[in-house]
Amino acid sequence: MARQAPALPADGGAGIPLSRRLGRLLSGDATARRVGFAFALLPAVALAFVLITLLVKALPAFGFNGLSFFTKSVWNVGGYSSAVTKTGGVEHLQGQQFGVLAEVVGTLVSSAIALIVAVPVSVGAALFIVERLPRQLANLVGAFLELLAGVPSVIIGLWGALTFGPFIAKDIAPAIANHMPDVPVLSYFRGATGAGLGELVSGLVLAVMVIPIVAATSRDLIRQVPILPREGAIALGMSDAQTARRVTLPWVGSGILGAIVLGLGRALGETMAVAMTCGFALGAVPGNIYGAMSTIAATVVFQLDQAFSDPSGFEIRTLAELAVVLMVITLATNVLAALLVRRVSGTALPVGRGL
Amino acid sequence: MAGPALPSSPASTPESLTETGSSLLFPLFGTWTTAYQKQFVNSSKQPIVTITTGSTGSGIGLADAATGTVNIGASDAYLSSADTVKYPGLLNIALAISAQQINYNLPGVKNLKLNGTVLAEIYSGKITTWNNPAIKKLNPGVSLPAMKIVTLHRADGSGDTFLFTSYLNAQDPSLWSSSNVNTTVSWPPAPGALAETGNSGMVSGCAANKGCIAYIGISYLSKTQAAGLGTASIANKSGAFLQPTPATISAEASSFTASTPSNEAISMINGPSANGYPIVNYEYAIVKTSQDNATQAEDIRAFLHWVVHTGQDATTYLDPVDFQPLPASVVTKSDALISKIGS
Repeated sequence: MARQAPALPADGGAGIPLSRRLGRLLSGDATARRVGFAFALLPAVALAFVLITLLVKALPAFGFNGLSFFTKSVWNVGGYSSAVTKTGGVEHLQGQQFGVLAEVVGTLVSSAIALIVAVPVSVGAALFIVERLPRQLANLVGAFLELLAGVPSVIIGLWGALTFGPFIAKDIAPAIANHMPDVPVLSYFRGATGAGLGELVSGLVLAVMVIPIVAATSRDLIRQVPILPREGAIALGMSDAQTARRVTLPWVGSGILGAIVLGLGRALGETMAVAMTCGFALGAVPGNIYGAMSTIAATVVFQLDQAFSDPSGFEIRTLAELAVVLMVITLATNVLAALLVRRVSGTALPVGRGL
Repeated sequence: MAGPALPSSPASTPESLTETGSSLLFPLFGTWTTAYQKQFVNSSKQPIVTITTGSTGSGIGLADAATGTVNIGASDAYLSSADTVKYPGLLNIALAISAQQINYNLPGVKNLKLNGTVLAEIYSGKITTWNNPAIKKLNPGVSLPAMKIVTLHRADGSGDTFLFTSYLNAQDPSLWSSSNVNTTVSWPPAPGALAETGNSGMVSGCAANKGCIAYIGISYLSKTQAAGLGTASIANKSGAFLQPTPATISAEASSFTASTPSNEAISMINGPSANGYPIVNYEYAIVKTSQDNATQAEDIRAFLHWVVHTGQDATTYLDPVDFQPLPASVVTKSDALISKIGS
């Protein structure tokens, strides 16, 4: 039974300082519950508000842009001297045409590169930190990992654009591009290596931002794996790698998958660092992995000022539609992850429990 | 003709005004407002009118001025005909004359000559190396390297993109159509094309990439020179290749004084002057004719009136950003527009 707060006197507590009166009100059980309920509802209301305003802005754009919005790569804002016309009740500038296939592909590919690099590194680092490093060193490395996660994205973006990108373009990319065999898939790594702003650098910069998230979460998860099953595995003659693969990782597999999705969410929505390193080629699907490209988030950032000067307001609606698309992609990955987590944990847990 | 009656000093009640928009105009606006606030102070030496400035971009300047979020929006481009239909009470008032330089990073090559046709072919990927016959033809006797051309364009919506694409369209409408003239355009796929943010991004991007070509606002002249970039001589309508100098920019602007309409919305690209630099434009203040109250309107009138008179002083205000003053007859037209600001 909760502690009963002293009730306010009949006059409503006049004469008692306001702060104390408020405290008494809040410590009252029913009131506290009501206030708590309102606060708990706030995030849901905020999300609904954002979604509804976004959809209201975007809805006419869905109609006018149609399906070709997802199948074409074109960003034509209309000429400066174009007139405002109406098509199907939607006001737009003459000659306007939008298709964001390239931006959707750019978003997915850069995030995929980030995960391909970040996941093995992060999980490997987490295993090493927990199982091999002495406690004090592990704490130090862990602290740096958490510091890296807290670095503002604009700083990582600046480093990517000024230092890391040119380094990749000058010292790494040419060596890869010149020695990659000209066969399907691998030929995507051949060709001109550009100036260091593009798909590969964006993906790697994203990886730098994803690694601390996945690694720190995985480390905490792996720490929770009891020592007994692991000792059992070693007693059965398993090597370190086998122990990690067959006991430690399956024990927390679903959790690590959750951490990866957390990282993916970060990569998909990351704006500033990608805007600074993608080379921003609006509507361009790069010919190789070094080429300049654009993502959904970067396009919204760079086109906002231009969109404000569109007298028909249609470009703003298109940016809102783009935001809805990003939202759907992010939600879809989360739902997919939830389904995956359920499946993986179903098969994985007995292994750990059985030992 | 007698100019319209405009206040020469702000109303005596304290007032704060807001300005936002063009990043090209931002430094100049800063020196204007600082000097203005120093000149008009009350008995306790406090500025009567305080003006807050912001560098956000021409599009936001226009939108915020139209909705009344700010008193003055700064823009590199005049209001389009569709804008004037949508916002009938919005004025674009010419404040100064700017120009655009075409810069390149080719060590050892001085005074490169280019015209609109060649630039359009470069930016659409038809010319990809510097020793292309079309460039050689414009530059006889200049040894051009077999270097790949890196075309830089603006990633953000920009008045500079509008000016540059206007020039390409004016010089060669068959290669660059008018539907591809705007503050953001769909750039044709040129190999090695790079997008940069802001004029400063264009300067550093061009300095970092040998073989680059870029279009950069004249107010960045000292920075492009410090970065060691070359400034191309650009063909005007009569075929003369000219550098952007105070003389050629003023010559171009003065050839438009008579044709500048009373609403001051005019493109000054590829003009008729034989010795005029072809990429020149007015910088504008975007102001609503109906302000919140009469005092505010009076203070805006007084400030803008000061800008188009005292603020045109070359050595104090315009030279540091390499802008040129408005011709006298354009000042009169600006004053006429300023007098329309009311409440």
